[in-house]
Amino acid sequence: MRPPSEGARRAAWWIAVASLLSAVPFLLTVTAQAQAGCPGESGLFHPCALARAKTYRPPRTADGKPNLQGFWRGPASGTENVEEHPMTDDDNGGKSLIVDPADGKIPYQPWAAALQKENRAKYVEPNVPCFPSGVPRSMYVPTQIEILQSPGNVLVLFERAHTYRIIPTSVRPHAGANIGLWMGDSRGRWDGNTLVVDVTNHNAKTWFDQVGNFHSSAAHMVERFTLVDPDTIHYQVRIEDPSVYTGPWTMAFPLRRNKEKGFRLLEEACHEGERNTDPLIRAGQRIYPGVPERK
Amino acid sequence: MVLCAGALFVASVASTHIAGQTVAPTSRAYSPPRTAFGQPDLQGVWQVVNTAAWDIQDHSGQRFPGLPARFSVPAGQGVVEGNEIPYQPWALARKQENYKSRLTADPEASCYLPGVPRITYMPYPFQIFQFPDRVVILYEYLHATREIFTDGSRHPDIPVEFWLGDSRGRWEGNTLVVDVTLFTAETWFDRAGNFHSDALHVVERYTRTGTDHLLYEATIEDPKVFTRPWKIRMPVYRRQEPNSQLLEYECYAYAREETDAAAK
Repeated sequence: MRPPSEGARRAAWWIAVASLLSAVPFLLTVTAQAQAGCPGESGLFHPCALARAKTYRPPRTADGKPNLQGFWRGPASGTENVEEHPMTDDDNGGKSLIVDPADGKIPYQPWAAALQKENRAKYVEPNVPCFPSGVPRSMYVPTQIEILQSPGNVLVLFERAHTYRIIPTSVRPHAGANIGLWMGDSRGRWDGNTLVVDVTNHNAKTWFDQVGNFHSSAAHMVERFTLVDPDTIHYQVRIEDPSVYTGPWTMAFPLRRNKEKGFRLLEEACHEGERNTDPLIRAGQRIYPGVPERK
Repeated sequence: MVLCAGALFVASVASTHIAGQTVAPTSRAYSPPRTAFGQPDLQGVWQVVNTAAWDIQDHSGQRFPGLPARFSVPAGQGVVEGNEIPYQPWALARKQENYKSRLTADPEASCYLPGVPRITYMPYPFQIFQFPDRVVILYEYLHATREIFTDGSRHPDIPVEFWLGDSRGRWEGNTLVVDVTLFTAETWFDRAGNFHSDALHVVERYTRTGTDHLLYEATIEDPKVFTRPWKIRMPVYRRQEPNSQLLEYECYAYAREETDAAAK
């Protein structure tokens, strides 16, 4: 990944040790699941998981909703670049997370394609100063994700920079249109076995990845969370932003369960230990100001 | 026998913590609604209405040195029981130094996680969620997150520090009692320089006192800094707006934008 990394950890040495140890069962788990379940690569995972969703009966919470609770991880390659990208000195490489359009590319309008290139050259990658990763990047940034459900709310807690999403599932309108938020404003509902989340009110100061792929503050996202086997969520997000793209586009990928016993999120005091941003600013990079809706 | 020992322990803790307090009888008489799994229901969006963020002790209105007049400090009644914080002599001197350099020395000036109990009385809302094995408190300020485990588990027995400590909770009657330890020494209690060491041990008590009110109490113990434990207490109010929800206050992001503007 492009240095500097996702932000320095402030906690003591043992967290690093614990993380390394905790990764071992996690990797074994993922390997076992990949053999039994749908393959991880988005282009193959998406149709396979949609087919499984038709017959899979998910476990339920006490109030009868599909039980999505637990610890999860998305595909970390997405934070390098949501499109297909090679392995380099900086990147591990990976396939595109985009399943529509079929070419796996973000359908930018010409001005926006130019701006994406400018972003990468000009600005500090917004995750370096520990800014919240936004939606959908939070779902695939390399971190642990915890989903909790209580009647009327789904909580998504992210270990990275201790960010969270509160997704009310009772009917209520979005926050006022002039309120821009790092993590957007989420409203959920249950559609059969699927949690459908409508996300608006982006401040547009986040990127999709480290290479400057972006949306405007007018972006409208619809996410779908569906359990397709006990340890896999099919996650899908459709992104609509008419002044930036030529049409809506969709990412889909697995969230794989971390089944380590006794696991818990730790406090990643990211900003408190962050020392990379000031040198980048001194070297001439700027803080990304965000892209308002173009009218 | 185990139950008896537990009851004795709870009783002794309760008597220690309540000795000397005057708690309105209504706060104990109120019978809160219960969650589906039988706990007193503390859920909702809450916020304090006081001046503890500036200074947890009684204080006059005053200029905040270095800030424009409109960011002055309003006079306020403290939240410390008896108003005195029992500093050891060296620590009182350090507090006074902190006070003098508070514009920049306060960890809040760097937008760092503010520690416990300070996060409770920052002037921003927080939301409580309950689960059978834990209570989750999410704070608007910095997206701060606390998971308070109520499953009987203990603090980890390892050398680690957290800005918000490690929280283990239990239900004592209608009260959520939270034991918080494993703190860094890097947070303060307020903008007036009140401070602690890494030996800080906080016991919080959250009690519903009515439909829209919580009583928040915290006992603060730190043998490296204070001569005895001391307490703070304050009501917490339910946000009444029908559309109330946590938004965001990413303080450090604005600090970055400031650095950026200065570099231009």
